[in-house]
Amino acid sequence: MKGVLLSGGTGSRLRPITHTGPKQLVPVANKPVLEYAIEDLKEAGITEIGVILGNKGRDEIQELLGDGSEYGVDITYIVQGNPLGLAHAAGCAKDFVGDDDFVMYLGDNILKSGVIELVKSFEAGDYGAGIALQEVDDPQAFGIADVDNEGNVTELIEKPDEPPTNLALIGMYVFSPAVFDAINDLEPSWRGELEITDAIQDLLEDDYEIDSHVVTGWWKDTGKPEDILEANRLVLEDTKLNTAGVVEDGAETDGRIGLADSSVIEDGAVVRGPVSIAENTTIKSGTYVGPYTSIGANSTLEDIHIENSVVIGDSEITANGRIVDSLLGRNANVESADDLLPEGRRLVVGENSQLKL
Amino acid sequence: MRIITHTCPACGTVVAANELEKNRVMKCPGLGCQEVLRFEHLPEDAREHFLENRDRYQI
Ligand SMILES: [Zn+2]
Repeated sequence: MKGVLLSGGTGSRLRPITHTGPKQLVPVANKPVLEYAIEDLKEAGITEIGVILGNKGRDEIQELLGDGSEYGVDITYIVQGNPLGLAHAAGCAKDFVGDDDFVMYLGDNILKSGVIELVKSFEAGDYGAGIALQEVDDPQAFGIADVDNEGNVTELIEKPDEPPTNLALIGMYVFSPAVFDAINDLEPSWRGELEITDAIQDLLEDDYEIDSHVVTGWWKDTGKPEDILEANRLVLEDTKLNTAGVVEDGAETDGRIGLADSSVIEDGAVVRGPVSIAENTTIKSGTYVGPYTSIGANSTLEDIHIENSVVIGDSEITANGRIVDSLLGRNANVESADDLLPEGRRLVVGENSQLKL
Repeated sequence: MRIITHTCPACGTVVAANELEKNRVMKCPGLGCQEVLRFEHLPEDAREHFLENRDRYQI
């Protein structure tokens, strides 16, 4: 079994954060989203991984993952270039995959349960493909699968008016090499892409059995800022957090706090977990860091009240105010305007930024 | 749709034909790889197929 990890896409819904890098490298609980996928594949015993690169962030992704040895896996890079669809991405991996089965994992997705069960379920039968499904409240908004009593998929329907089930496809698949013949026969859809659901539909029509696996834990597509915040919350809730850094006497802490060994919570600061604080970061006196917050490396926080937020790193946040439900990009600084005249906020805001003042 | 790729002989990075055709001659996108990749490195039938169906490989 091999792994194919999709890391293309423009990240347009995550601008301005993605002006400077690919969406798959946005950190959740101080770890790039893409690393969760690598770890999930590794955990399922999959160590040969093809990473599909689009037009954006190629070098950054290669710099992070390297040849995979740091993660105990072996990575081959596959440059898809133009975003011609998931089936095109899979098709680009044909030579890499060879005669093996493979898991296809969307690199901006993050899920609690990993892929072990999906792979097990697929390997228990003789399937052309296996798809991960999750129950949703609004099936009209998703690609939906109809399944029989044995869990075999009988039909896939895109955003149905009258959904036969509430089982939505999430971005996680297992394929036999038979999918490459199906992809070869595909025509681009109305939006000019080779659709992976069309390839699965073709396998069904060619009498391949398609397995389904219903994922019960949380699953998150991290395409939008609010998704990053929610994924951060879900991961912090579940992850073991280790306080290796210095908590000074007089600092007030409770709950689970991840604190890198080079970081400090100073006397007079208040931190309530779950919180993750990365390397070389100082939480100074008068600061409140509330639950579900991740503070990246090389940052200083002073006087601020911050909660349910992600600070990516290299930031100075020293204003006396409240920041909630926020995503701050690398090198973003928030300082006080209290002593400046005329009174008012002073902003240098990048394209596509969103501020609620 | 036939999907055509080329594998860099130096580092093993796989490059889709649309990417090769866009650049014709390019430095391998594998980080730190100095290999020069050319659309002409693809087999002739693959090149012909690609050029006949060029529109479908664009977006
Ligand atoms: Zn190369």
